[in-house]
Amino acid sequence: MNKYDIILTLIILIIGITIFCLFKIGNNNPKEAIVYYDGDIVLKIDLSDHELRTYTIEGFNGDVVIETIDGKIRVVEEESPKHLCSIQGYISTSYESIICLPNKVVVEINDSIDVDTIVR
Amino acid sequence: METRKFTRLSMLLALSVVLNIVENMVPLFNGTVPGVKLGLANIVILFVLYQYGFKESLFISLTRVFLVGILHSGLFSIAFFLSLSGAILSIISMGLIKRFTKLSIVGVSIIGSLFHSLGQIIVVAILLNSMSAFNYLPIIILFAIPTGILTGIMSKELLKYFD
Repeated sequence: MNKYDIILTLIILIIGITIFCLFKIGNNNPKEAIVYYDGDIVLKIDLSDHELRTYTIEGFNGDVVIETIDGKIRVVEEESPKHLCSIQGYISTSYESIICLPNKVVVEINDSIDVDTIVR
Repeated sequence: METRKFTRLSMLLALSVVLNIVENMVPLFNGTVPGVKLGLANIVILFVLYQYGFKESLFISLTRVFLVGILHSGLFSIAFFLSLSGAILSIISMGLIKRFTKLSIVGVSIIGSLFHSLGQIIVVAILLNSMSAFNYLPIIILFAIPTGILTGIMSKELLKYFD
């Protein structure tokens, strides 16, 4: 490694950590999870509810089971070769997402929708 | 093409295919963190880039993607397109960086690793028509450093035996 490599490593490290920190700063707006199948919204779930709830939607390879509790959401069961999105576990901020590529299912969290209602 | 070069390139291609498939079988680097892989095949690609040149490494890289597609993940499957976009972006960025900057093989490897993942994120975003794939950006940027350094050092060691 020469000095240019070290400079490059430091630059990438700083960029990475900066973006990581920006992503970690959450806000306390009411959160809503949006579930997409093949680009279309199939489910909207209010995450301010602290009860354990499960939802089942249809994915490309079969049923996808989604669970919410305490403002967090995760995929519990799905049909795919590597089960990456059920291994991933819970997400709780708008800067995280669950992507089940084989099932064409995306779970996103939106925390800016209700700002207008609060202002009103 | 002289026979010696032809034979060597064929063997290197076979090596990169094997490394790619073996890597998919090792559970730790199997993508447990989405999008993060060791990128062992990149050792061979880097080696070819430094030993022979850009055209040869581009050829090895693309042929590897098609061969792994046929042998392992399925031709024109999602995994195939992820691999293809990553490979193209990675080899082009490495070629440019090697040509126009003073970075050593390790720096070139980090850039390759970074752009390989970036190419995959872009394809996921296109396939799903959703920007949420870019949420994986920080993890991918941070993991590109250790994986890039590792493959870079390995290629560097390998090159010593061929000079």
